[in-house]
Amino acid sequence: MAKSDIVIAGYAETPVLYRSGRSAYDFAGEALAQLIKNTGIEKSVIDGMSVTVPLSECANPFFAVYMAEGLGISPTWLNYGGIGGCSATGGVSRAMSAIRDGHCEVAVVMSADAPSTRWNANYAAYRSEFQDPVGVQGPPAVFGLLMSRYAHQYKLKPEALAKIAVTQRNHALLNDNALDKFRKPLTEEDYFNSRMVADPLRVLDSVMFCDGANAFLVMTRQKAEELGIKKYVYPTAYAELTNVNGADPLADITETGFSKIAPKVFAQSGLKPSDISMFQPYDDFTIAILMKFEDFGFCGRGEGSDFILNTDLSFSGQLPLNTGGGQISAGQPGLASGGLNLAEAVRQLFGEGGKRQVKNPKNALVTGIGVIPFARNWGTSAAMILEV
Amino acid sequence: MSETAKAGRPVPKPNTYVDTTPFWEGAKRKELFLQYCKDTGRFQHYPRPVSIYTGSRNLEWRKVSGRGKIYANTVIRIPGPGIDGRLPLPVVTVDLEEGARILGNIIDSNVEQIKIGAAVEVAWDHLADDIYYPAFRLV
Repeated sequence: MAKSDIVIAGYAETPVLYRSGRSAYDFAGEALAQLIKNTGIEKSVIDGMSVTVPLSECANPFFAVYMAEGLGISPTWLNYGGIGGCSATGGVSRAMSAIRDGHCEVAVVMSADAPSTRWNANYAAYRSEFQDPVGVQGPPAVFGLLMSRYAHQYKLKPEALAKIAVTQRNHALLNDNALDKFRKPLTEEDYFNSRMVADPLRVLDSVMFCDGANAFLVMTRQKAEELGIKKYVYPTAYAELTNVNGADPLADITETGFSKIAPKVFAQSGLKPSDISMFQPYDDFTIAILMKFEDFGFCGRGEGSDFILNTDLSFSGQLPLNTGGGQISAGQPGLASGGLNLAEAVRQLFGEGGKRQVKNPKNALVTGIGVIPFARNWGTSAAMILEV
Repeated sequence: MSETAKAGRPVPKPNTYVDTTPFWEGAKRKELFLQYCKDTGRFQHYPRPVSIYTGSRNLEWRKVSGRGKIYANTVIRIPGPGIDGRLPLPVVTVDLEEGARILGNIIDSNVEQIKIGAAVEVAWDHLADDIYYPAFRLV
């Protein structure tokens, strides 16, 4: 994907709210209006759209079509992305393909969800027979299992996870879009005093479902210039993998999809881990961040705890981490979650990070995670590298 | 063996995803049946519409020993649907001798001794009248 002439030429993000009482459509409208205002484009130039499947509206199989109708957009290319927290980066990648194939010129990648107001999802499948009776209702138990296995095979230092929580909270304090409730400082002591959810997973290792939206504009650089858009970034690498080791029932669950796709995004971009200006990894739980430091080669397998403890991860540090607070400290806007980390990367590369601006960033590594499968780690892993 | 039905715990409805009749019939007799791929001679769990090894539907159900080792473990400590009155709830994944990994609860055991690598055997959790569900106990 390197040297592509297709760019992200605009982004928008609503504040993250808890039990807002509003719908995904309403949040999407706010994001679109902001996107149009930020970029100065006419809505009529948008001829492509990727929409993320939201928890709050996914009983409607035509949500994406309703979204187009609701927003007054008539796309010649419409994608409905069902890979959860990978749908935003995945939507950008698919929009790039669609633009390359001539299906559209200006695509909006829209992720909006409001599950803390309205839960309208039912994962069904095998779960009522083989998962629910065990009491494993949501991701925390699965991540508790994953953490236990990681700790068994490697060294897991809780103080490293505490450092992630505290670092990201410090960043959320500087993010006006972060959930109000999380905009108070956090100490390591607070982390260790936080309630155990599913041993050894604590509340402060975890995200909380909220409401919100984000949107991205994808087009060729030439089109952006035609439209008078001055700020854009190049997605120079993207890779995803679903159901890693899916035909191995006894697979090592500490081996994630990221270990397979990390070499691909580095090869596509020609970058190496030490070249990365900032890391905006999908953070449903702190252990996922720790494992990704290893999977992307910032350190060796099993060295994540020491790497975290020995690295300044603040926005002004060696490897700025989730500079907007991540989902854990900004709030997780349902399945619009993957766009939160992506929006922060684009914002920083546009130089709009305000009080938390990373100094002269050249690029950003963004990841997504989608859905929790049966007794494994996670369903989809996605990674994107953006360059200025 | 836990013979006490737990209030408020949902009773699974068989065959919602694929035909799982042999699993539930076996459970009534307190025998653990898993899906078996006849082409490769390998087990798989949870049940699938095809063999995850070959993609064929050349599957059958076979009784397994119910013996295995704990692969990963956690304890759920927060309330949720269907787990009222069950907290703290030990949850493990078990690598069965037959080469499949299964999610389950630990019952009838000293929870302090639950650890990765510990040997377990299937135990039967009584959900409703004639409905039993596989769990595990430390051996």
